[in-house]
Amino acid sequence: MTVLILTSEEDVTADMVVVHLNASGVPVFRLDPADLTGGVALSGEFVHGAFRGHLSSAGRLVSIGGLRSVWLRRPGAAAQRAASPSAWLTEEAGQALYGMLRGSEARWMNHPDAARRARHKPWQLRLAQQCGLPVPATLITTFPQAARDFAERYPDLVVKPVSGAHPQDPPRAVPTSRVAPDTDFSAVAFGPTLLQRRVAKRADIRLTAVGEELLAARRATGAESEVDVRFAATDVPWCPVEVAPRVAEAVRAYLRGAELAYGAFDFVEDADGTWWFLECNQSGQFGFVEVDTGQPISRTIAEWLARPVEGREGQVNGASAQVV
Amino acid sequence: MQPFALNYARPAAELEATTPYVYDSGMQLNVLRDGRIAACDHALMRELGTTTSTAGSKTHFDD
Repeated sequence: MTVLILTSEEDVTADMVVVHLNASGVPVFRLDPADLTGGVALSGEFVHGAFRGHLSSAGRLVSIGGLRSVWLRRPGAAAQRAASPSAWLTEEAGQALYGMLRGSEARWMNHPDAARRARHKPWQLRLAQQCGLPVPATLITTFPQAARDFAERYPDLVVKPVSGAHPQDPPRAVPTSRVAPDTDFSAVAFGPTLLQRRVAKRADIRLTAVGEELLAARRATGAESEVDVRFAATDVPWCPVEVAPRVAEAVRAYLRGAELAYGAFDFVEDADGTWWFLECNQSGQFGFVEVDTGQPISRTIAEWLARPVEGREGQVNGASAQVV
Repeated sequence: MQPFALNYARPAAELEATTPYVYDSGMQLNVLRDGRIAACDHALMRELGTTTSTAGSKTHFDD
């Protein structure tokens, strides 16, 4: 049975997993939904009470019934690169592809519904609280006065996008940034603003969760002024770090609550060694951690994807075969 | 009328205009010009930053 990977061609991080799947002899079928109606085609029929569906790409053909897992990695929008792209065609192609895949019995990393919900940072913060993870005091508001009041209670603040998205017109990045004490909060009225108490950190933590496996890495803070590790100019490497049992239990509770098979958790570690939850990226990058630490993240993902679907007969190369 | 958070925006850093590898649809992998699999060259991956948490931010929410 086959592992289906939905991602862009340039996703070299996904390649790290494909290498392991290839080495273990697990069939891989990789496509970018953006190529639908161009290099990617689909077909499915619902006849006589049964469903038979197929996908093709680059000369390969796979039965949807023969999928053991689907890795929703970094796919483009459906039919984005079609000869005549349109919002309507994207909706049509997305409904056709994901609608058929949802009907398969394959395991998902991560299911589209869970993935969509898990992107909401306010929801993340609430779930983290409920799971017992320490969350820095946070305010999301369009009331300037609420922001001023919050800044009085927590004078050392950072601001970050609610969605994590970066503006594209023109292309800009919005790193997590410190807010000066005398800041004018009037512009809070023009867009939801996420303000958070700055944790005086001594390290950043990236905890990559794959199923039940937790692989954590720590990077010591390079400078007092460093706020957003993604944009910090530092040569300090990531190093493997143990996960305290209490944190591990809370993280697993979060994954269960979010129905995620994969999550990349960002924490900051304070002077007491407490890990403060910042966010969980349901499709977060992992290659940079593996490259630094040597942790077997890509192999662990490959092993999760390669697990057979329990108690199910599958179609392999057109022949019925018992899944073992 | 600019939202508060955009007061902290900065120009997006351009990723490498060209990467030294190209997708091979037969292998379903990106390969270097000498035929090696790009993902197996960790030194190169570190140098290019294509697996880092800001790579892909242009099109994806999750880093």
